[in-house]
Amino acid sequence: MGDQQQLILATGGYDHTIKVWQAHTGNCIKTMRFVETSQVNALDRTPDKTRLAACGYQCIRLYDLESNCTAPVINFDGVQKNVTRLGFQENGNWMFTAGEDHHVRIWDMIAAPPHCSRVFDCEAPVNAACLHPNQVEIAMGSQNGSVFLWDVKSERHERIVPEVDASIQDVAISPDGRYLAAANNKGNCYIWSLTSQDQKMSTLRPTKKILAHTRYILRCKFSPDSRLLLTTSGDGTVGIWKTDDFSKWRELSIENYWVWDAAFSADSKWLFTASSDGIARLWKLQTKSSIRDYTGHTKAITALSFKDEIVGK
Amino acid sequence: MATYSNQHWLLSHIRNSFISTDDTGMCETVMLSDDMPKHYLRKFGNSGAGGDHYHWRRSQKTAPTGGGTTPERNTRHPDAPLQEVDFICYPGLDLSDDEEDMSTHSFDIQMYPEVGAHRFRSNTAQKLEKLDIAKRRAARIKSVNYQEEVQPPDSDDFFRRKELPPSKAQLSKKEPKANDDELSDEGVQSQLTEQLAKSPKQTQNRFIEFARFDGTSQVGMQTKRINVFLNMLPAPDRNYPLKICVVATAKIQEVIGYVCYKTSLQYPDVPLKSLQHYALYMTEDNDDMEDFPPLDNREPCSKFGFSQLTLAERRPLAPVTRVDYHSQLGSKSMTSVEDKTALAEAAVKALQNINLNGGTTDPGGAGGGGDSPFDNVKEYEKRLLNHNDMLEAPMHRTFRLNIIDKRFFKSDVTLGISGERIEIDQCKNAKFWPQKKPVSTPIDFVAHCEILERRHLKALLRIWLKSNSSSPSFSTGCTSAQINASVTTLNAGSGSAGIAHSPSSPGHSSGLFSSSNIRFKHYDFDTDTHTAEQIHNKLNCILEMRSSDLRREFLLQRDRKQEKRQLKL
Repeated sequence: MGDQQQLILATGGYDHTIKVWQAHTGNCIKTMRFVETSQVNALDRTPDKTRLAACGYQCIRLYDLESNCTAPVINFDGVQKNVTRLGFQENGNWMFTAGEDHHVRIWDMIAAPPHCSRVFDCEAPVNAACLHPNQVEIAMGSQNGSVFLWDVKSERHERIVPEVDASIQDVAISPDGRYLAAANNKGNCYIWSLTSQDQKMSTLRPTKKILAHTRYILRCKFSPDSRLLLTTSGDGTVGIWKTDDFSKWRELSIENYWVWDAAFSADSKWLFTASSDGIARLWKLQTKSSIRDYTGHTKAITALSFKDEIVGK
Repeated sequence: MATYSNQHWLLSHIRNSFISTDDTGMCETVMLSDDMPKHYLRKFGNSGAGGDHYHWRRSQKTAPTGGGTTPERNTRHPDAPLQEVDFICYPGLDLSDDEEDMSTHSFDIQMYPEVGAHRFRSNTAQKLEKLDIAKRRAARIKSVNYQEEVQPPDSDDFFRRKELPPSKAQLSKKEPKANDDELSDEGVQSQLTEQLAKSPKQTQNRFIEFARFDGTSQVGMQTKRINVFLNMLPAPDRNYPLKICVVATAKIQEVIGYVCYKTSLQYPDVPLKSLQHYALYMTEDNDDMEDFPPLDNREPCSKFGFSQLTLAERRPLAPVTRVDYHSQLGSKSMTSVEDKTALAEAAVKALQNINLNGGTTDPGGAGGGGDSPFDNVKEYEKRLLNHNDMLEAPMHRTFRLNIIDKRFFKSDVTLGISGERIEIDQCKNAKFWPQKKPVSTPIDFVAHCEILERRHLKALLRIWLKSNSSSPSFSTGCTSAQINASVTTLNAGSGSAGIAHSPSSPGHSSGLFSSSNIRFKHYDFDTDTHTAEQIHNKLNCILEMRSSDLRREFLLQRDRKQEKRQLKL
């Protein structure tokens, strides 16, 4: 299936548009209007790659990538405040959304229309959420500095506050399920080891604190092979850390611009970045060189989504 | 209604309306110099009795209407011919002739940026339509209520814990570590790596930086839709415009970049040059370009109201608009043998002439002073061999340039040069200048062509002709002749027209001119260096080939004069 589809990169930003690019050439395939009042906070594609979900201020929308229609196919009504993250379970059975209304919601996407099947209250605006590869646990980070791990099946949860007076900006769990990372607005990144036994909820063990940046961290993400962790920051750099010992392996720099989001290729050799200069870039990690520019946004790009496949050895 | 019968008001109104609705920007070049209402006002309105006249009429008219404020009422019989006195100044219009304040010229004109002179539809109509569109769209969009109550999943299986395979990282830890800078390649390859390998670097579009001027789906931004014909495409495609939508704030330069970007996507096989080579030209419904200059690169595209444009290679500054080869001497000559031989004969004849005369009178133009005739011939031979100029020179070709009238005024003319004659014709589209009769001069009367001044882009070109006038007055020997004016009428201008560059300024020329009894006049042209160069080469080529007596005479005179001047100095 993956071979027939062309590889696309989706970006969204402050210009209220979502653009879909041909990943290897940098040509824009289509542009979709988001909501006139909102930037794009996060983008994710359904596992079957046919739909693109985007969230922003008071809105969550799903777009069909296969048709030429630029209007959404699903629109959420009555959304309050910013929706900061969304993501899909690996079969596309459900979707989670995290918002500044303090809630993380699980949406049953098999039902027609989709309905909400779980809610978690973080008691503070939720800045980030991500799904554990075991598909039942969700890590969340809130504005008051709390990191939560929530088991959606058993509805149990655990809460940790790694640093007071700091807002958690992003959370990530490595694809091999070993680490949880949480990055805050002070430029620090905290790592926990996750262990799980007998179908029970994972336990967290503090492992490392990385003084990753001097300013705001906007995103953190593990590479598909779990060997790298990236942090993007308001200081115009992307730090790439080896998960062996969490030492810095590479640094990419887009001077004077915020790096809002980034995504690895499936083989962890390439990296897409979204930055406030309105340009998405593709970097070859080996050489730290930018080899493609994706130009077309008129304002900062704040979110991107890239779904790649492993094609073989 | 009083205003509508006032000629002055009407003229002003027409003029102002034209200027204010002209979205080409061309009115500036055409109209600003010619203010007809003012012109007539000066001619009729204030003639004779001058200002008094106007006041007199006003008092006459206003009195019987009971002091009404309509002094401009014109009670003239409609069929009566326009008399001078009928052109009455409309109060407040153009009266401030001497004042700096130009605001009196135009009425308070408010342009709607999007729809030209049309009025916006009412708010309600727009709102209704928006609602309608939204409704129709909503029918296709599934809606989910975000705030709805939680419905726990029916089946226990809905959330299913997935067992993770033992992590690769743990496995690879046992392997010997690759060097620090190079993470060991596990041999996996992603689709992206594969595609990037297949598409080498050059697929990255050169014009990609202009992609950001894409106007499609821009929210809260003015955009502009333009159909652009692409001149560089092969024939069938050229007739279909590329439909683009750009951000309205984009400058023309950036629009060109964006068009190139779109073109490279749509027609990847068409080679494109760099941006500087292209310009946007105005276009009619078909893809024929107009003779206007291209749109200014620095202006935002919102300034122009065109919905159709042509992207073409930039023409030279003062463009050669049409190169039409006349059938007698023209394109045929390059194909038919007879014409070629005829030209060759002419060239040979020219050589012979030089051969014969070279010893006594040096043509001067070609070889320069001390060359032996033999050298001259050699040089000519070389030139014949090296340049096609000689063969092409007698073919008819037209140039577009400015003639300098009376040392000061410039007007657009077409200069046609062929092996038989030169023609100067007033350009058709210069409507606002009084038309002048075209001038045609047999080539036998043309003496010389020179470039007087070369500046960065502009050049001053002078063509010397034999003057028809047989007036013995020496001082008029050299004039800057108006197209259809005789030499003598322009005496006044001649003195300074020649200035330092003029080879035969009047003071020194007397003895010489009386002896030969041939007098010369010249036309001065203002054009770009490239065109000047072309004309200069072409014309002198023709003249050299003909080796006319007139030209020899002219050059002789000039040389002598220079000698004399040097002696004097």
